[in-house]
Amino acid sequence: MGSITLRTITKKFGQRQVLHDINMTVQDGEFVVVVGPSGCGKSTLLRIVAGLESPSSGDLEFDGRVVTRVPPHERNIGMVFQNYALYPHMSVFDNLAFGMTARRTSRDVIQQRISEVAALLEIGSLLKSKPGALSGGQRQRVAVGRALVRSPYAFLMDEPLSNLDALLRERMRVELRRLHDQVRIPTLYVTHDQTEAMTMADRIVVMRDGRILQAGTPEEVYSQPNSVFVAQFLGSPPMNLVRVARRPDACVVLEGSEGIAAAVPDWIRRSPSSAWWLGFRPERIERSHNGSSGLDMTASIRTIETLGARYHVHANWGGFPITWVTQDVSGLMPGSPVSLTVSWDHIHWFDRNSEQRVTESADFSFPLEAGGVR
Amino acid sequence: MMDGGLSAGTPRGTARPNVLSWLRRLQQYALKETLIGYGLILPSLLVFLVFYYGPAIFLLYISFFHWNIFASRSSFVGLHNFVVLANQPLFWQSLLNTGYYVLLVVPVTTLLALGLALLLREARNIRGGGLSQALVFLPHVTPVVATSIIWTWIFDPNFGLANAVLRVLHLPQLGWLASAHWALPSVMIYTVWHSVGLYTVLFLAGLSTLPKQVLEAAQMDGARGWLAFRRVVLPLISPITFFVILLATITTMQTFSQIYTLTGGPHGGAGGPAFSTTTDSLLIYQTAFLYLHFSLASAMSFVLFMLILAVTLVQKLIADRMVFYR
Repeated sequence: MGSITLRTITKKFGQRQVLHDINMTVQDGEFVVVVGPSGCGKSTLLRIVAGLESPSSGDLEFDGRVVTRVPPHERNIGMVFQNYALYPHMSVFDNLAFGMTARRTSRDVIQQRISEVAALLEIGSLLKSKPGALSGGQRQRVAVGRALVRSPYAFLMDEPLSNLDALLRERMRVELRRLHDQVRIPTLYVTHDQTEAMTMADRIVVMRDGRILQAGTPEEVYSQPNSVFVAQFLGSPPMNLVRVARRPDACVVLEGSEGIAAAVPDWIRRSPSSAWWLGFRPERIERSHNGSSGLDMTASIRTIETLGARYHVHANWGGFPITWVTQDVSGLMPGSPVSLTVSWDHIHWFDRNSEQRVTESADFSFPLEAGGVR
Repeated sequence: MMDGGLSAGTPRGTARPNVLSWLRRLQQYALKETLIGYGLILPSLLVFLVFYYGPAIFLLYISFFHWNIFASRSSFVGLHNFVVLANQPLFWQSLLNTGYYVLLVVPVTTLLALGLALLLREARNIRGGGLSQALVFLPHVTPVVATSIIWTWIFDPNFGLANAVLRVLHLPQLGWLASAHWALPSVMIYTVWHSVGLYTVLFLAGLSTLPKQVLEAAQMDGARGWLAFRRVVLPLISPITFFVILLATITTMQTFSQIYTLTGGPHGGAGGPAFSTTTDSLLIYQTAFLYLHFSLASAMSFVLFMLILAVTLVQKLIADRMVFYR
């Protein structure tokens, strides 16, 4: 076992460049999730690691050894495909055994490995069935088993849960992660589902248009998104974003229909840019009590969605739709106003031109100025 | 029983008639649908009955008679025609010729078509790939009689292209259609040339439905070349292979036009030299339309029909065990 390193990998299909200078590493035993919208190049990235595509330039290393030109069958990679890609004409046993048969492993070893893996994945009773007779979840396990049974150098998973229904997906998420904790094979997992990324990853890599936007632990990427895209992509419901701008009179206002002026930290007023996205997570919003030290807003409620344990309150603040996740909606009604606040710790600023995160370079201290003047 | 169950308003009293009337309406609806369905297939069914099943049944009927189209009366002879057939060496010879022909043409065509399809599939993305597909298919759209005449020139022992090629390769010259030994193989060569394009296209269609990710999974599993082909590709295209073999068998068992044209045609002598190319369908034709033994020819046709049916059933039995349907 070891690491996977990608060095300045690019990939072009004809004139179309789908990967730009990708640099990343999957450490030994790490579970890395590459997440991004469809067409961002994440599957191509995975296929390059698998050897099913070759990069236009750049190098791929396994444990420091360059394997860019090594054919897929010599890379010893276990791959789980989106539609499982089981051999439909073979029994589950033969599906698991095929890779080892191709490598001329002895019968005893094959038998032993399969019974080990079957026990681990609880598919022992299915070994004689054909894939067509299995349920989606069972096929999923067999596909994982087929990748696992050869004791691969690394695991590659291409949207393995996207063909399962919601309930099963949730269960398999936990199971796959548990499996990883047991076998500790470095895993590169590709998905467009931010929930999978957040819940399963040791480290998340967010991609868009063939570029890596941000990489880090789920907590880092979630709490410190470095761009508007990452901020919006991770989290459900997504981060609230509001357009704000600095007027010539140095007053910072919402660019919504009502042109509300906002009380903002002083460093923002002094920042070189003059137009921002102001972002805050729906679950960071609180009911405003007197003397709050954050961004205050008076929003009018449009609808209240009940999710059982919590509520999604959709409201309107200065012409911008915002979503608030709360557990207490007592006294709230659609059409009525509500005073809300978000602590400055949980406010994100993004430059509207570069779409990049803007931070106060020095330590976070918020000398508040009284704004709120119309 | 006397009153309660039927009194209006009790759940049981009202529910049952409702269910019944609902069932009746469903039945009427189903009947109506059935009638409409049969009505819709009636035109084509009529054509089939009049021009296909009718003559086929009539054929079986006249095979039990001594049938003369010029006489007003035909006499019932029972199985006499079949007995005559069984005692006619030429009939057995024609069955042997047919068997020889089918047993060589079908496997050769199938394997060649599969090979060509695999090649063309690899070449589909290069320049001229599509053109190659068209070129392979082209012979199949040419009329059999016209191209057969051209091939009689190719097979000409003195001036033909076939012997010219052999000369270039320093191989012994052959008599081709003029030789009792090589006449049927010559027909086989023509048939393979003419039909391989169709089966290639069928295989190409089959190959194009192969799930790409399954092939990639095989690649990741370390199966390459022959192993991947034998263990993954071949089982997955087995329904197409079965269909190709079935179709090729049925058509070659009935081959007529090229044999007739290549071995003598309207000038007589078809089926020669020395009956070496007299297959069952040629013999049926000659018996019926040259010697006017219609009832004997009918009996032969029936035997041929039963043979094709038997072969097809055997193939089906084998296929049920070997073909994998997704």
